Amino acid sequence: MYALIIDDSRAMRSILRRIVTDLGFETLEAADGQQALDHLNEGRVPTLCLIDWNMPVMDGYTFITNVRANPEWRDITLMMVTTESEHGQIVRALAAGAHEYVIKPFTPDAIADKLELLGLVAKAVPA
Amino acid sequence: MSSLELVAPSLTDVEMVAAEVWSSFLGDEEPLLIGPPAELTVGWSAAVSVSGEWQGMISVELSAEMADQVTRRMLCLDDGPLPDEDVADAVGELVNMIGGGVKSLMPGPSALSLPVVAAGRVARPSDVTEVCRFDAQWAGSPLVISVHIQSPKI
Repeated sequence: MYALIIDDSRAMRSILRRIVTDLGFETLEAADGQQALDHLNEGRVPTLCLIDWNMPVMDGYTFITNVRANPEWRDITLMMVTTESEHGQIVRALAAGAHEYVIKPFTPDAIADKLELLGLVAKAVPA
Repeated sequence: MSSLELVAPSLTDVEMVAAEVWSSFLGDEEPLLIGPPAELTVGWSAAVSVSGEWQGMISVELSAEMADQVTRRMLCLDDGPLPDEDVADAVGELVNMIGGGVKSLMPGPSALSLPVVAAGRVARPSDVTEVCRFDAQWAGSPLVISVHIQSPKI
């Protein structure tokens, strides 16, 4: 399973990469929505996209609307990971086709919990 | 001018936001300690602006040593050369999260800018007034988080 991490911050991409790698994903990265679309157009279609909202060139919301406009990409799970926490923005992102919304700062467990809910990682069983 | 332009976060608000960012991304082993105001030689600083129903600017100033430690912690890097590009990126993400947290406590809707990062002190617009200043220490180094709002127009 591939996760495409879309964030203009290398530090944030690094943090997310460690989290999803621990959860069993291989990763691709993009520094903005356009770079991410380029990956998809070149056939690198991931299972999951983790998407920042505020990025140069193309923001995360525009990326989501582009992905949802292409039926070939309908199976990609889209998860916003952003500092934007206004109710209106969350509703807008979900209405555009995002499956989940995580607000920064987050913990690794918060990401894992969301991916469990989406059925992308196995539920942790207490020892 | 709307009366909402004068709304400002409290010191407790900013402390809460900063503590959450620190514990999530920099770990709990070295907690962020509140003030007192200390002599800070600014090595790096960064700012984000909020525009909309609430208008303001949130900035972070930290020493070069602290910026180095924050970057290494975020990127999981040990000792060794650290490019300025990486430090700028980490400090920018830090102010992005703190600014987003402050924005979430203020009247909306509003939009958060991309971070502006500088080696040294980031420039501030002349029409803003500091309404909140949070002095803290982390790993023995001082840090200042400031919130500025647009001054009322006369």
